[in-house]
Amino acid sequence: MNPRFIRNFSIVAHIDHGKSTLADQLLLKTGTITAREFRDQILDDLDVERERGITVKARAVAIHYRHQGEVYELNLVDTPGHVDFHYEVSRSLAACEGALLLVDAFQGVQAQTVANAYAAINANLVIIPCLNKIDLPVTRTEEVLDEIETVLGLDRRDVLRVSGKAGLGIDDVFLALIERIPPPHGEVDAPLRALVFDSKYDNFRGVLIYVRVMEGAIEPGLKIRFMKTGTQHEVLEVGQFRPNNVKCDRLTAGQVGYVIAGIKQLGNVHVGDTVTSALRPAAQPLPGYHPPQQMVFCGMYPIEATDFEKLREELQKLSLNDASFSYTPETSDALGFGFRCGFLGMLHMEIIQQRLEKEAQIDLIQTAPNVTYELLMLDGQVLRVDNPQDVPASGGLKEFREPVVRVNFILPAECIGPIMQLCEDRRGVYKSTEFLGPTRAQIVYELPLAEVIYDMHDKLKSVTRGYGTMDYEIIGFRAADLVKLDILVKGNKVDALATIVHRSQAERRGRNLCKRLKGEISKHQFEIALQAAIGSRIIARETISAMRKNVTAKCYGGDITRKRKLWAKQREGKKRLKQFGEVEIPQKAFLSVLETGDD
Amino acid sequence: MTTTFPEPRAAYIHVPFCAHRCGYCDFTLVAGKDHLIGEYLNALDRELQTLQTPREIDTLFLGGGTPTHLSTSELQRLLVLLSRWFILAPGYEFSVEANPAGFDDDKIKLLTHHGVNRVSLGAQAFDLQTLRLLERDHIAETIVDAATRVRRRIANFSLDLIFGVPHQTLAAWRETLRRSIELQPAHISTYGLTYEKGTAFWSRRHHGVVNPLTDDVERAMYAAAMDELPAAGFDQYELSNFARPGGCCRHNRVYWAGGPYFGFGPGAARYIGGRRETNHRSVTTWLHRVFTGRSPIGEAEQLAPEDRAREALVLGLRRAEGVSRRDFLKLTGYVLDDLATPAIRRHVATGLLEDTETGIRLTHKGKFFADSVIIDFL
Repeated sequence: MNPRFIRNFSIVAHIDHGKSTLADQLLLKTGTITAREFRDQILDDLDVERERGITVKARAVAIHYRHQGEVYELNLVDTPGHVDFHYEVSRSLAACEGALLLVDAFQGVQAQTVANAYAAINANLVIIPCLNKIDLPVTRTEEVLDEIETVLGLDRRDVLRVSGKAGLGIDDVFLALIERIPPPHGEVDAPLRALVFDSKYDNFRGVLIYVRVMEGAIEPGLKIRFMKTGTQHEVLEVGQFRPNNVKCDRLTAGQVGYVIAGIKQLGNVHVGDTVTSALRPAAQPLPGYHPPQQMVFCGMYPIEATDFEKLREELQKLSLNDASFSYTPETSDALGFGFRCGFLGMLHMEIIQQRLEKEAQIDLIQTAPNVTYELLMLDGQVLRVDNPQDVPASGGLKEFREPVVRVNFILPAECIGPIMQLCEDRRGVYKSTEFLGPTRAQIVYELPLAEVIYDMHDKLKSVTRGYGTMDYEIIGFRAADLVKLDILVKGNKVDALATIVHRSQAERRGRNLCKRLKGEISKHQFEIALQAAIGSRIIARETISAMRKNVTAKCYGGDITRKRKLWAKQREGKKRLKQFGEVEIPQKAFLSVLETGDD
Repeated sequence: MTTTFPEPRAAYIHVPFCAHRCGYCDFTLVAGKDHLIGEYLNALDRELQTLQTPREIDTLFLGGGTPTHLSTSELQRLLVLLSRWFILAPGYEFSVEANPAGFDDDKIKLLTHHGVNRVSLGAQAFDLQTLRLLERDHIAETIVDAATRVRRRIANFSLDLIFGVPHQTLAAWRETLRRSIELQPAHISTYGLTYEKGTAFWSRRHHGVVNPLTDDVERAMYAAAMDELPAAGFDQYELSNFARPGGCCRHNRVYWAGGPYFGFGPGAARYIGGRRETNHRSVTTWLHRVFTGRSPIGEAEQLAPEDRAREALVLGLRRAEGVSRRDFLKLTGYVLDDLATPAIRRHVATGLLEDTETGIRLTHKGKFFADSVIIDFL
């Protein structure tokens, strides 16, 4: 394929600004899919994605478009829109020369619009801004164009007007893709260099590697080598996504497609690695990517101890297709044998958890998520801790460090005060404010990640009545006065309820936690003391009084059906309890640690 | 597993009329609609015809509502109707629920004339404050008067009492127990007040207008009944029921034994052939369905053998004698320990259950926590 007729592009947008709908429309218009095959969001082939209307994994599809007598190959490399998957966005962008930047004509520039636009700019991509959803009854076209100019520094004259849903302006999009985005450069005759931007496991064919060929060509029979891992394989098949896998003779410089090379395990493929020819290797690998960083961890335990092996198998299955997710076995006094799982962020965690419950049908107890911490020990050693249980008792600890993020909020100007208050309450450090127009502003704060991930987004939405958006990036670890807050139930420390908190908040958090646990744990036949402690010092206490009586008074012929249903319901509720000593703790209690509520 | 189901030898008839609805009551009934009584009797007639042939039974129970709210002539019509379909076997028990107010001698005579040999009086309490709160239309003297007159003709009578009523004191409850004993009934039922959805009490509690008594006081009241009634010769043969020797309600014992029974009238339940059916709870819907020849059943469930066994088990645990391993096997075809070993172990350990080798039963402490035990057996 002559690179002159190839264009590689991504679509980037804030969530819900219509990315997937526009992608579908591009496929439909070019006959890549037929109207009959058309289903919403064809690129999202994970159930979870379609259900939640979000794209999680990077996907690619080759579109053929006829223009001035020539057939162009337009490779759309899809990107996830959520902040948790920034990492995947950057991967996709590295395979492209241009990006369509979608902005909702009513909602305007939002936090992820900014984040994604800058990611594309940093990757040296040509940006084609598009005002989407122009068919909406209410739009703010002029203001949004202002925002695009002010915040993103793009010329309003370059902005296309489209509607993915109604199919308006689609031809302009094709034209812009061909005319504005440069064709890929790279010699077909040079030694092979192909960037691995994703991989997928197929039960029948083994690992499919998604590549963007930068230089050279790749075809069946070629011996290839992964430049990072050094492993060699023989290519069995190459092909393109249209959108299903379609075999082709070869992939040449500039093209995007898949490679099957008899690789059995996903673990053997490193996303970001460079594929080259074993016989005629390139001198230098491509820049590649930073490895994903798991910042959010939680424990997952089967309620039935016998499900442990089943859980292990399911986690392994999931990790096959998601390299950004990790799991290691751990034990808890309270919960028995389980796994500590690491995620890119909260959404990522929710998705994995949903898939486990849906596909594996294992009843799980999930502990409250926590971020990962760094401990600088007196002997100079630095420990990474992703479970509060692993924090050593005070001795030997020099510095306790937590991850800090730079958070970018875009919100109505009248909400600036409340959001600043929210950030200050959460140990935020103010950085800057910028007005996008008379009524909207962008504020930047540096905040501890732990204060952001749990419910910052919900709080922002509620304070701004849905109009505020946020995005964040990790900027590093910083020392903070952190302590481990233990929870004792009837005198016994429940390791799975331990959290790490800032010392200044410990007492308040302890009090609230005890109060919430009191609401979650039902009365037993004895009194239960709930205590929060730092080290051996008790800082809060609640008492669950003993149940005195639990008996149905009336039970005659007409009552039996109803009572039995009532009892069955109580019993069902008990199933999700974990026996801890004499006390039964419901699954929900382990998550109550997380709700900061109205502390 | 094949189980043969014996024919019911117990029948329940629901009479859904009352002078007014008390604030705590969620039973199937209509108040102030006495003009429906005639139609009700016609409909009951039609529903009873589904029996096709008269049946011999050991126990017949007229509950409500207030069966004695019917006028003497209406009551007579009901009793005659029942005598056409039910043949009372020798040694039978025929119970009628009655309200102390308006229970005159004519009605008592009429009942005895038709073979009624057990009356359950809805006394509820003796102190005025509690009676008012419960919205009852009688006072202590009414109870004493009615009980005295009933006793002359029907020695086997029972008093229904309610404890745990807002503002009710432990002392007042003890007084109610004392005065009940004084009337020398054969049987006393004590019911802890519950707040049922759809009742006035439920919404009052929901809106904070009434405050339920604390767990501690309720427990003390139940404990008082469990102390004082046995001391006066009443054996606690079921969680809420106390009787002198020979005074147990045989009809109710059928329910707790997992036995079969007929049921007629709106909201009435029947259990025949392992299938439990409950008639529609709305009086007018029931009337309409019966008259238009449609099934009056509101809900029905066919219990699987194991569910049937488990249900018999938890109902049986309500009785003082608990569940005998031998009887359980005979009734359900299941070996008790196959179904319930973990639950038995757990609750023997918690001290709520006693394993006597021949069977299992709740301990004294267990009676306060029967539901906590029961759910582990389901």
